[in-house]
Formats: sequence, C-alpha cells, structure tokens
Amino acid sequence: MKTLVAWRIVAHDKGRSGLAIGGVFVAILLMFLQLGFYASVPRGGLLFYDAMRFDLLLASSAYVFEGQSSTIPRRRLFQALAVPQVLRANALYHDRARWLNDDERLARDIFVMGLDLRGVLFDLPEIERRLEALRQPDTILVDTASRPELGALVAGRRIELEQRNVTIAGTYSLGTGFIGLGVALTSDLNFTRIFPKRSLSAVNLGLLVLEPGADPNVVAASLRNIMPADTRVFTRAEINDHEMNHWVTRTSTGLVFGCGLLVAAIVGLVILNQTLSTQITRQLPQFATLKAMGYSDGYLGGVVIILAIIMSTISYVPAAAVAVALYSMVRDATKLPIEMNSARMAGVLAIVWGMSALSALVALRVLRRADPVELF
Amino acid sequence: MGQWADGAARIGRFAAALRSTSPRRGGTRRAVPLAWRNMLSDRRRLLRSISGIAFAALLMMLQIGFRNAFIDSALQVLYNIDGDILITSSTKFRFAAKDPFARRQLYAAHAVDGVAWARPIYGEWNLAIWKNPQTRKTYSTQVLAFDPDQPVFLFPEVRDHLEQLRQPDTALSDRKARRSYGFADAGTVTELTRREIRIIGNFALGPDFTADGTVITSDRTFLKFFAPRPLAAGELADIEFGVVKVRPGYAIETVQQALKQALPANIAVRTKAEWLALETDFQNTVSPVGPIFMLGTAIGFIVGMMISYQVLYTDLSDQLPQYATLKAMGYENTYLVRAVLEQASFYALAGFLPGLAVAVGLAHVLADVTLLPLRMSFETVATTFALTLGMCLFAAALAMRRVLAADPADVF
Repeated sequence: MKTLVAWRIVAHDKGRSGLAIGGVFVAILLMFLQLGFYASVPRGGLLFYDAMRFDLLLASSAYVFEGQSSTIPRRRLFQALAVPQVLRANALYHDRARWLNDDERLARDIFVMGLDLRGVLFDLPEIERRLEALRQPDTILVDTASRPELGALVAGRRIELEQRNVTIAGTYSLGTGFIGLGVALTSDLNFTRIFPKRSLSAVNLGLLVLEPGADPNVVAASLRNIMPADTRVFTRAEINDHEMNHWVTRTSTGLVFGCGLLVAAIVGLVILNQTLSTQITRQLPQFATLKAMGYSDGYLGGVVIILAIIMSTISYVPAAAVAVALYSMVRDATKLPIEMNSARMAGVLAIVWGMSALSALVALRVLRRADPVELF
Repeated sequence: MGQWADGAARIGRFAAALRSTSPRRGGTRRAVPLAWRNMLSDRRRLLRSISGIAFAALLMMLQIGFRNAFIDSALQVLYNIDGDILITSSTKFRFAAKDPFARRQLYAAHAVDGVAWARPIYGEWNLAIWKNPQTRKTYSTQVLAFDPDQPVFLFPEVRDHLEQLRQPDTALSDRKARRSYGFADAGTVTELTRREIRIIGNFALGPDFTADGTVITSDRTFLKFFAPRPLAAGELADIEFGVVKVRPGYAIETVQQALKQALPANIAVRTKAEWLALETDFQNTVSPVGPIFMLGTAIGFIVGMMISYQVLYTDLSDQLPQYATLKAMGYENTYLVRAVLEQASFYALAGFLPGLAVAVGLAHVLADVTLLPLRMSFETVATTFALTLGMCLFAAALAMRRVLAADPADVF
C-alpha cells in the first residue's frame, strides 16, 4: 500500500520526477567515476608489474618506485638461484633516453627497458611474438601509447636515441603508465649499446619465477636470509602495496584523486538530499491531506522513505550501466586498469540507499510540521 | 598585489555600469527592491541556499586554483632566474631535461650589442641522488649550479650565501622539498650522489612534476660531482642554460634577434616569457592535470547550476501567488524577468563571498600540506565569480518559465 502511494507520487508528474531522477543519476555517476579513478589511477603505476611474469622481485634497498629503482649487482640473481624453489631469475634493465624527433627537432625523454631475451618476461603475446626482432643490433619495440611528440611510430623508421642510430623494429600496446612520455623495449645487449655507461652486471630489477606450488612468502623469507642489506625482496603483494603507496602518498596523484573522491561524495550527497527533499516538499499538501484523513506520521514516513528509495534505485540502474560504459572508454583511452567490481556496485548502492533514507528523514521533519489547516 | 588593484578597479567600473542600467533607479514603481526582499523572505532557507551555492563556488575555485598551482609549480624556478633571455640547446624541450651545450656560445653571446651579461646555469636531473640526513634513504633530486661570482638566482637566501658557496662541497637545499627529503638545516652534512656535502642554508622553491627537491651549488662543486669526465686544464664544461640580462634601453626582442643571428642553429634563444609559455604548454599537453581539474570545474558548475536551479525554483514556486498578483496588477513580464535575474545575481554574490573566504583559508592550509604554490590569484577568483554568476543566471532562466506561465486566475 505504501509502495503504491509512493509509486503514484513518482508517476504523477513524470516531467518533474524525470528531472529529479536525472539529478540523482548525475550524482551517482559522479561517485562511480571518481571511485573508479581513485582506485585505478594509482594502478597505472603498476602497469608493467601487472604485465610481467614473476613471483618475487629483487630490487635495490634504495628502490623508490619503478621509475627510480637504483641497481643491484647481477650476482644477487645467481645467489637467488641457490634457493631450490627458484626456477628462473631474469634481469631487467631500464633507464631514460633522449629521443630526438627529426621533424620537431626537439629531444624528448623516453623510458627504455632492456630484457634478457632468453627469459619470458612479459605476459603479453603481442610482445613475445616480436621479441625475436630485437636480436638485431640497435633495434627497439615502441609502445603505441607513447606521446605523438615522438613522431610516427612505424616499424622500419630510424631514429636517434641517446645520439645513437636506432631502428624501430615494431610496436606493441601495453601503455606507458606514469613512467614518462614514451616506453621502448629492447634486448639487454642493445640496452648497453644505447647506454654505453651501463653495464650488464648492474641490474635494475631481478624477476624470479618459482617452482610450481612453492609458497612465495616462504621463499621470500629464505631469500632475505641469504641476501645482503643492499637488496630487497618483494612478493607480488608487497610490490603492489609499495607502488600504490608511492603514488597515493608520495606524489600529488593521491591528493588529486582523493580530492575528487571527496568532492564526488559531498556533491552526490548534496544533490541526492536536495532533489529528494524538494520532491517531498512539493507533495506537502497531499501529505497534509493524508494526515488530516488520519494517517499517522509513521505511515507517511514509510511512504516518504519508499519514495526516496524508488527514485534513487531508478537512477542507480542507468548510472551503473553508463559507468561501466565510461570505464571501458577511459580504459581504452588511457590504458588505466579501471574496472567495475561488485564491491563498488554494492557499496555505491548502499551509500545511495542510506542517503535516500536520510534525506527522507530530513524531509519528514517538514512533513511533521505540515498542518492541514495552514496548507489550504 | 597589482593585479588585485587593477581587478578591483575593473569590478568597480562594471558595477557602475550595472547600476546605470539597474531597474531600481528612478520611478517609484521600481522603488521596491523586490529581488532583495524575495531572497530574504525565508532566512533559514536562505542560509541553506547560500551554503549550497557557496559550496559550488568553493569547489570551482579550488579546482581552478589547483590547476593553476600545479602548472605554477613548474614555473617557480623560472621566476627565480634573474635574466631576460635564456639560451639553451635547440633540442631542449623543457626546463628539467638534461640537454647541455658548449659554454663558448655564452662568450659569443657576450659580444652581442645590448647584452649586459650572459651567465651559466648548470643542471643535473638524472644522476643526482640526495640522501635524507635523518632516514639515510636516497631519492633523486634536481641540482642547479652557478658561478658565485656571477649570481643568476633571485632566491634571497642564495644571494646571501654567495661567499659560503665558494667553499668546496657546500650547497643550499630546498626547505619546501617533499618531506621524504628530510630536514637539512645549515650545518647538516649529508650525501649528494654518494659524496659528502655540507648544507649552508635553505631556500624555498617546492616540488613540481619532475623534481621532488632541489639543491643549489657552486659551479666548481657541481663539476666535481657531475662532470661526465675529468676536465682538462682550461677546458670549459658544458652548460644547461645561458642567462642573458639585457642592457637598460635595449628592447628584449631586438637583443633576442641579434643573439639568434650571432649563435649557431643548434642553440635556441628564448625570452623568459617564451620559456614560461613553453613550460606551461608542456604541462598542459602532457600531464593529465589540466583535463582532470577542468572536469572538476565542470562538475562544480553543473552541480552549482542544479543547486541554484533548485533554490530558485523553490523560491519562485513559493512566491508564485505574489508574482501572479503583480501580473494581475499590470506589471509586465520584463519586470518580473528582471526581478528574477536580479535575485539570481544576489544569490551568486551571496554564495560566492563565503565561498571565497573559505577558499582563501583552505588555500593557505592546502599550500602547506601539498607544497604547491596554491593561492587565490585574481584570475582564479574572477573566473570563478564569472562561472558562479553564469550558473545562477542560467538556472534562473530555466526556472523562470514558471513565473512567466503564472496565471493570476489559476493561482487563486
């Protein structure tokens, strides 16, 4: 019965209700978007780790984040192989190089990663297929997400990298994360050609793959026992936490999106409250009439809460659908791992319902004062 | 402060222009400040309405302010260079990209007519590692260097420590660097790129997109730490910037042209203004900060419009009988429209002022927390006011239909 009354109120003035639902829709969409950004943008810093095959990571004790990792002696990798559960240990080298764009005559910084071609470092068939091409001297693979300022990224183009003539052997698309304007992959040998000052004996990261069934935490503990103080051992979970923490607390990224999240929450709540309480205030004469007819405040309160829940739910469904669509658009455009999950959907719905009920209760105060005599 | 005085004068002129067209001037018919009274009719609701609009204004102001602050952070170091023209390698695309050129070009620049002096700045971004003196952890840092006999930086602390900078292995550090860099008061001994360095003072710069902290040293200390190889006697080290001061009485552009003529094609000659534009442009196109804050501002605008629409709609609905009565008395629609728009402008102003007050306070706190040069510049405030007024007027235009449709016969 209450539901019917509430539904009648929604259906009564479809234009007004539509407008209110539109407002709530915007508020919910905003929350979804900002939540998505907040959760996924720091993950942009994990783009490469997410795409790499490893169970444990060896890094320098001076490691700050992936773009500033310092180096460890390569023999730490061989030391790690002494632990029986460690199946493979691959070296990863990286550095920043000056890429000269002939057309613009400007030099840009790009991030270059040098891989040991014998190991299978990337979990990306697109890269694996093209790695063979890197056996040729002075060749690189370029990420297609690199900035257009680098010029055309086509196989066969010759460019100048660190004042060395280098050929683009192919492209792949993984994304550049937050590492810089562009990313290039090359073999470890080509890496030392491009950076003559770098030696293969100083590696940036050691990627360890364990025997199937080995517990990474146990192996990490035994590695920590044998490694000197210059080396840190990360499990996947630890490096995830470390990088997320870096982007959220040590840079402005967390601040920017934290701000956005806070704003979205406040704005969402304000709109929800405003819209719903206006809807209820507008029906005040009708509610007063019901009151005059003898319906209790409790009954009217129930109607109002149901009204609020109906309206917010009607808004929620398309908002969630549009959010999923927007997520995939953002994912394509920025390569950020922004995805909808059931926890977020449930969380937003809970917030929306909670806020709807709260707005209804606020509006009820007006209703309680509603005096049939005054209204007519 | 100048921009504020200038801005205030402009606002004054605008207000005067408004007054001259105000409907309240002359004629007894217009004597009742209808919009004003309408707004004040329900004080409690007024408070709620104003806080809604103030929130939207605050939101937009902070978003615009943050955007400007992020871009400004990258310009701070340029503002603190004492010169009119900067000479760099032609391939250098931003301040913090290592791209040195031969110092002999600086001597060629000296010979150009109108050049008061041309002085070197050395820079290192890739190799420099700073050790936090407290935690002993290491972080990359930006190192700038100059000849203490040819000062180029405007930081007052740098100017005061020229004598001490001549001592070997001394440096000034940024007291606004990120917290992870630790506190390095004068006298602190720490490490720069694994060599011992003594801090003799601090200046205030703050982090930007690329540099989390900055160290300034003398050219001799710098070359000892970062020269790619030992320099032969009399050999000149490559430099990052040539800072040119133009002699009084010469136009900067003329000297710039003359320098371009005198220097080879692998050298770029840009005025300081051009460098500021280049750096701003780089941050705008490359970093995602611009679009993110634009989105934030747009959200603030839309939300503000929704709030002010709600506010005005509720007001107009409540006062519909009054409007209908006025209509029945023979007032024309234009009068009512004007009253509604006026009321919307009052709301905009009433919401904007507390929003501004909170924004100024918040900016102080946030600038300390985020180390960004966040301040409510005239441009930020004026843009926000225009947006606030725009959103209220637009909302009024939408809500107005109700008044125009009010039929005296229907209302009673």
